[in-house]
Amino acid sequence: MGRLLFIKSIEGRVLAGITMFVGMMILIGWVAINEEARMQAFVRQHTGRSIERGAELFASLCSECHGEEGYGADERAPGLNNPHLFGYDPVGVQTAAITNANRALVRLNKNIESLSNEMIDPENPPSDERQNEILAEIADLEAQIAEQQLAIETAVAERIEILGTLSQAVENGLFPLWDTVVDSDRTADNEVEIFFNSNGTRLAQVGWAGDLRGYIITTLIHGRPGSARVYPSSTGMAAWSQTAGGPLRQDEIEDLAEYILNWDKGSAWTNEDFGAVAQYGKPLADGSLPTGPQPEMVGDDVLGILARWEADEIVGSPTSGELLYSARFGCTDCHLNGASAPDTIGTLARIQNERLAEAGFAGYTVEQYLVESITRPGDYVVDGYSSGLMPDNFGGRMTDQQLADIVSYLMTQ
Amino acid sequence: MTILPFPSFLDDVKAKGFKKAVFEGIDDSVERLTAGLNVQDLREAFRGEAASRRPNPRLTPHADGFWLHMRPSYFNRDVTGMYPTFRLGWLSSYFVFFETITGLLLMLWYTPAPEIAYGDMLTILSNVPLGQLMRDMHRLGAEFMVAVVAMHMMRTWITGSYKKPRQFTWFSGLLLLVITGFLSFSGYLLPWDQLSLWAVTIGASMAEATPVVGDQVNLLLRGAPELGANGLLRFYLLHVLALPALLFVFFGVHYYKVVIHGHSLPPQKENIGEDSAKRVPLDKRVYFIPDMLTYEMFWLGATTFIITVLCIWFYHAPLENHANPQVTPLGTTAPWYFLWIQGALKLGDKFFWGVAFPTIALGGLALLPYLDVTPSRRYSHRRFMLTIAMLLISVTTILSYMGLAKFAVQTSAETEIVHELTFEPAHSKVGIGRTIPFDQMIVGAYTTAQTHGQDEMSANDMIAEFNAEVAANGQFEQMIQELKDQHLGANQLPLRFRSIPADEAPKLMRVMEEFSHHLDAEPIELPNVWGSLVITDNQAGLKRLDWIVSWDSVLIEGGEVQLDDNGDPILVYATELVAVVDDNGNEVLDENGQPIQEERTKLDEDGNPVPARRIYSDHLFIHEAAAYFD
Repeated sequence: MGRLLFIKSIEGRVLAGITMFVGMMILIGWVAINEEARMQAFVRQHTGRSIERGAELFASLCSECHGEEGYGADERAPGLNNPHLFGYDPVGVQTAAITNANRALVRLNKNIESLSNEMIDPENPPSDERQNEILAEIADLEAQIAEQQLAIETAVAERIEILGTLSQAVENGLFPLWDTVVDSDRTADNEVEIFFNSNGTRLAQVGWAGDLRGYIITTLIHGRPGSARVYPSSTGMAAWSQTAGGPLRQDEIEDLAEYILNWDKGSAWTNEDFGAVAQYGKPLADGSLPTGPQPEMVGDDVLGILARWEADEIVGSPTSGELLYSARFGCTDCHLNGASAPDTIGTLARIQNERLAEAGFAGYTVEQYLVESITRPGDYVVDGYSSGLMPDNFGGRMTDQQLADIVSYLMTQ
Repeated sequence: MTILPFPSFLDDVKAKGFKKAVFEGIDDSVERLTAGLNVQDLREAFRGEAASRRPNPRLTPHADGFWLHMRPSYFNRDVTGMYPTFRLGWLSSYFVFFETITGLLLMLWYTPAPEIAYGDMLTILSNVPLGQLMRDMHRLGAEFMVAVVAMHMMRTWITGSYKKPRQFTWFSGLLLLVITGFLSFSGYLLPWDQLSLWAVTIGASMAEATPVVGDQVNLLLRGAPELGANGLLRFYLLHVLALPALLFVFFGVHYYKVVIHGHSLPPQKENIGEDSAKRVPLDKRVYFIPDMLTYEMFWLGATTFIITVLCIWFYHAPLENHANPQVTPLGTTAPWYFLWIQGALKLGDKFFWGVAFPTIALGGLALLPYLDVTPSRRYSHRRFMLTIAMLLISVTTILSYMGLAKFAVQTSAETEIVHELTFEPAHSKVGIGRTIPFDQMIVGAYTTAQTHGQDEMSANDMIAEFNAEVAANGQFEQMIQELKDQHLGANQLPLRFRSIPADEAPKLMRVMEEFSHHLDAEPIELPNVWGSLVITDNQAGLKRLDWIVSWDSVLIEGGEVQLDDNGDPILVYATELVAVVDDNGNEVLDENGQPIQEERTKLDEDGNPVPARRIYSDHLFIHEAAAYFD
């Protein structure tokens, strides 16, 4: 050790020293080159941890009124896991489509007009060749016009349908303030439309000029008074920031905002989401509270299920099916070794060679047998196993896709 | 007659010719810059040749120059080896300058205010190129510096170098040790994260024990009853201004004394009672230029290179969550170099062990050269003092160990276990529960019961049996209630336990095994225990993990589990309200005609008392991008 640190010759020391300095500069240069990526990774990681802390704060402070999953709570506070908050405006989307198509129509018509003028220009008549060209162009433009008109028709139809659904939502009490909108053009037919023109998204509704993050952070900092009309059991939202006398620091406010913004589905919001969330935390007309979109379950009508799969072209994925089978629905808890239920391994061969050979299953396909066994387990129990063991509620717990995945997985076994 | 209207370089050129004039000009400039060495002298020095000029020009920079006037012009060959100094003094000085440079760079990005400081840390890590490296280096350098200075002191003790005439050198060195400790400690607070806030709160609270002035000292230090904006500003000013100023003053004093008295020789190299450090025989002289200079430049490169390597691959300065005075983290300790005081505090009286004992210890050290006045520095003559030195090292080590959170701190086992599995990244460690890869966090409720006795039964059968058992005795329902209380969404409450998907999620399996292992290690405090991990989806890319411990309640008095004669824990039994009946089996009514109820131990069907079941839970959220598992 001593020998190593005490290089005897001066040249050795100078050389070793220079090597060390150069090595250090190379290392620091290497770090510097990678800094950009490292800093980006840090920002990603930090945002992730910020969302975690926001989730913790939300669960302990906000979920009481805004609901554990952000769907709002009875007469207390609006849903935040909510397309309305994130600017998804189902009517606006279609209105914009119609406006765009109309603009395109105006442009196309103008083009046709100028081409026609050229055709009949008395001072400068086009050549024969040019005339053919113009006719071809006009034909092309007319085709485009027809396309745009079809787009308008589709959008209008879609819009009417959405407004119909929204009237339902309005009736259900999802937008309790809609009847306070005063408009001279308002008639029984167009009142929903008029309401949505100015209330399609939360930011439009409150007339907020900034972005959503700013809106969320401002609300968190300052709170807001409660409306006795909409939230009879709410005392309003408290000011949460320390700057406004609340308990939270600015970084915690930002954590919360980060968590709330993480609910945004961007372009993946659907009209179903829109109709299923308590926009104002108001109970539905029947007194129940929206709990977010509930996926349609498969039920236990075996032939109906198979017909639906055929019609909607639902195809199962064995990979996802395996995970659902062993993890999500816990089928392997019993279907293992064949001790308490038939073993998973060999399913396909057993069905093909033994079950379908039985008289009761004449005309069955493997698929049908599997769907029936899962959704109606009580209908037939394999000899040697006790009946009533397998839960009979899987039809109410699986979607079409999930069942199709599991069936396709079992057909590989 | 000059060429230009004033004397100039051109006159030289005219007189000597261009080449000669340029060379002599360079030579002259070099000699001025080095305060005495011309080009030829430097060439000779770095070739290892003897100086050709007389008097020796290599001594002139020490006499005439500023930079080397404090450095000795030659050393005794006996003190330039690894022994006896181990270069610890040199390393201490190195870290003084290293910390100053890295610290100044960090100051560019730092504002000492509670609302801003933590954000500045994030900026340094996320938006300052090389910011992380600088912070790591400064932090690691600080830890090294404390260790090196302390070792330097012990080395001085062991070789007896504090003896006459170096008593005051020792004393100034001790001051430097204390200043170094406080410098490091004051820097601890600046990132304003949980680690710093609580380490410093604990450290500063020791001052509280001082009689009469304790509260005042504490208030002066913190600027308010609680550490806040004023406290942070004061610690910052201490860290960047007051303490460095003191450090540099005493650094100067200390080094001046070292040079004045010379580096003490290895004890066996000089006669007893004699100090011959300043009388260096000609054949033992190692000149600063060029030998020590090249050594030191080489060590400078090597040390900095090693620190750079350590900070790139092996060490990252910790940064925990934002400081929060409302949340006391489990297992908070003072910085490691103050652990010995924290350990001593566990021995009893706060004033004696927290104030009097460190003061006596440091006072004893300060007085050491004045108490131990025996002339001999030979090891064989100093058995008593060397024994004391070893005792000091041992006692400090033991006290530091006692200062660790795991020593004699009363925390209930279930809290400790769940914390062990879930704690946030601190000191480059993280709870194993956070390191499950995101795609292995498969939604479901899992139980440690599965990890028992898998040899006799398949996992699925175990789970099926366990599900039936906890459904029957109400423990599952108790767990669901606990989850509801912890704001787990109604749609997400588990229906039953399911087996751990060991194939898809091997890490999840390992965590559950560890969970089980920890629980089984506490049969006295947690009888009939089972643990559970409930994983649920919370948002896109965000999972929630609920950790639950369920066990039979035991009788605890004064923090100790009470045992019966067989050494088993005494259980607490559940009670229920039962209507009082008379001998005829009729309900007894009170004055208002209401049936009187009394509390009785709950019995099961066989008439055995049912133990009260306790449940504990904690939860954490894991985001896909949080990358605890990298």
